[in-house]
Amino acid sequence: MVIEQYTITNKYNFPQPTIDTALPQRFLEQSLYSLRHVQHQAFQLNPQNLHQPTLTEQYPSSIQLKPEPIQIKADNQETLIAAIDTSTIKIGETSTGIIVAIRGAITWRQNHSYKYTRLGPFIFHITEDNKNTVYNTLEHAYFSTTYSSMHQSAPNLMQMPTRLASLLERWMQTMVAKTVKEGIILFDGSLTSGTIDTPTQRLREILSYARRNCSTVLAFSKATTLRANGILITEQLPDHEPPYLLETSGLHSKPPILLLGDVYVARLNRANFAFRLDIDKETNADQRICAMQKLVGNDLYMQSYPETLRLSHILCTFTANEVLAIKHFITRKHGIEIVNRPDMHRLLFGPFGKGEIYS
Amino acid sequence: MKLYKKEGNILQVISFPTESAEKGDYLLVEDQDAGKALIAQVIDVQFAAVPGVLEELLRTLPDGGEPLQGEDIDPMEIAPHITYIQDASLLICKIRATLENGVLSPSSSWLPSRSQSTIKKLSVPMLMKLAKIDGKLPIILGGTKDSSLLTIDASAIDGTLNIITGKKGCGKSHLSKLLMVNLVGYKATVVIFDLNGEYTSLGMSNDGKRNMYYDKIHTLTPGQNFKVALEQLHLNTVMGILVNALHLPGTSAREFRRIWKMLKEKGKLNMQELGEEIRNLNCNQHVRDALASRFNSLANSGFFTDSLGEATMLDESLIKSKDQGGAIVINLKNTSNIDRQIVVEYALGKLVDSLSNWKLKAVFLFAEEAHLYLRETYWDDIVTRMRHFGIFTTFITNQPDTIQETIYRQADNIFLFNFTNEHDLDVVSRAARVDSETVRSIAHDLPPHHCLTLGKVVSDFPIVARVRALDIKTMGETRLFFNNN
Repeated sequence: MVIEQYTITNKYNFPQPTIDTALPQRFLEQSLYSLRHVQHQAFQLNPQNLHQPTLTEQYPSSIQLKPEPIQIKADNQETLIAAIDTSTIKIGETSTGIIVAIRGAITWRQNHSYKYTRLGPFIFHITEDNKNTVYNTLEHAYFSTTYSSMHQSAPNLMQMPTRLASLLERWMQTMVAKTVKEGIILFDGSLTSGTIDTPTQRLREILSYARRNCSTVLAFSKATTLRANGILITEQLPDHEPPYLLETSGLHSKPPILLLGDVYVARLNRANFAFRLDIDKETNADQRICAMQKLVGNDLYMQSYPETLRLSHILCTFTANEVLAIKHFITRKHGIEIVNRPDMHRLLFGPFGKGEIYS
Repeated sequence: MKLYKKEGNILQVISFPTESAEKGDYLLVEDQDAGKALIAQVIDVQFAAVPGVLEELLRTLPDGGEPLQGEDIDPMEIAPHITYIQDASLLICKIRATLENGVLSPSSSWLPSRSQSTIKKLSVPMLMKLAKIDGKLPIILGGTKDSSLLTIDASAIDGTLNIITGKKGCGKSHLSKLLMVNLVGYKATVVIFDLNGEYTSLGMSNDGKRNMYYDKIHTLTPGQNFKVALEQLHLNTVMGILVNALHLPGTSAREFRRIWKMLKEKGKLNMQELGEEIRNLNCNQHVRDALASRFNSLANSGFFTDSLGEATMLDESLIKSKDQGGAIVINLKNTSNIDRQIVVEYALGKLVDSLSNWKLKAVFLFAEEAHLYLRETYWDDIVTRMRHFGIFTTFITNQPDTIQETIYRQADNIFLFNFTNEHDLDVVSRAARVDSETVRSIAHDLPPHHCLTLGKVVSDFPIVARVRALDIKTMGETRLFFNNN
């Protein structure tokens, strides 16, 4: 197989010890490989933002919120705050599979200004035929030595976009954990491991890299289903001046799920929002509080959510304009024609057919 | 390019960055199945409403208003495609004609296929060929954006009312000189009311030497080489001067008429006798004073003489111009307001007289800032009555609101330079042969020396051209204090 020679240039502004670019290189190669097999096919434009599924938080319901909040005092000592997020979108469908785009963003705040690095978009044509090759090659590229076997089964077709995005996200988190020293690293989601997307060993290693560099990983979840006494933990906010943390207790996971972080509720300002926050279990209590104080002292948090993480999300999200551009790219560069298949919902139900997304 | 929308005679076309189209360009929207094509002119270029652009722009600006700095590692090189889509433009086009079997018609009543129509730029030479903008008496106005020449036919200015307008310093006088010398080249008689003495050097080239028009340019300066004797004047012309330029009241006018007739009968119609007669007039004191003050105005203008030998220049110039063509430049520089009106009243009366007696076939009159010397009642005269005598006027002004609306409505050709003032554009857009959207949109963005030509000369296909340079000594430049020379 001849691969077009694209190269990834290391452009990170972080100190760069040994940045392993194997994964993005494989992403690119697999992307081109997958697209080569879709040439001169017709495809139906059907952009759909795919959200990485929030882990179903099926933990025993013995969770309790400690009533006394932990007050956070802003520490303005200059600290690097870095955040990682990835995004994926289904661009359309072909007769044999789906075309998806994936992109990741790292944002960091340093010297009172935000900077970012975006990686992608990578465009894949995933079919039943190539999904194993694509997925396993990417798994192998980064995690070969430790975790993957070349012939492990790939996820089903519809899960592939989010699984590929997860792969990219974990790689980016690893790179940041390896490079940021004495900083705060913000993840989107929780520190729950043992899932197909997040093997325990993989997440454990990321956290370990961060600890080695004296950095602290804080994982913010935009939504949670955790309830204490039947009420969502993020909706039991005491009448206390923010910023503060509420500590939880009694949270136990069922194997193979493993929580690598302790769960808190973080309310960073007076906006009536709070978020589930996971902090690396291996960090001691003082370091946790210190990390939160530095976060509050160094980042903005307009709606109780760190701006660095918000920017990461915004920067990797695909806009409609970009979807059109990707469509233009695959049409021009790979000769894929767009066809307008009739919308069966509309066809059958007329004005009562609201389309697939509402069905 | 892709056809997006048609509303009335407005077309909206999506254009991508590689397909450059600007205001003023012509497009050919061809529907092969229908066997017809629309000719449309781009009158505005807007950003296409591409979904997601707002988000795209907003997300680069969250850092306290400073652009967010960062790097994009884009190995698949999607970014150029994003820019390509983001920079797509929407061309607002005005349908000018339908082309069917090689024949143009002004119709825009049919709808070309949105999916099947092909859209391409129509070059000016091709347009001129289709619209048959050529002729036996070509005048090259200048170059168009696609490096072709805009050539009009001199006969399209014949018998027409023209307006050259634009803000100061954009090249109006230059264009009028170009038209004049070309008309003279085709043996036409041209009369110019030259307010600032800037046409007096039409016969000289830039290097100060005589050019091919030298012998055909006759500069008449009132009070110097341009004088008239009362004997040559028709009573109506003198009454016109007294009533319209010098505002002589009715009773006094009647008395003057009586004196004039009496002197004419005696064969003593000259300034000296007229002055004497007014001084000795036995009538109401107010009437005598009124006549005396008007007489003094006439005498002080220096325009009137009792020597017939001094008073032949206009006649001579008209005769010279009749066969071989020529431009009679009436230099109104350094002439007072009253004197200007006297001279203009006389010149117009003389022209009407010569034309009505078929001493002249027709005259192209160029009037700069005519509101400064033309009485109000003459506007309609010029465009209606005098046109039938063979006076074809071109008004040149940088204040379009000084020209009456009726003039705009009857204008056959408009040469429009840049205007930024909305009010000025409003006024010009009242012209019958112009649509206001075109005027407002294109004229607003015209660079200096670029002219939007509208009307009969371009078969109603508005065309923008950069007016070509002339090898004529420039006299119309503003005198500057901070000038290095």
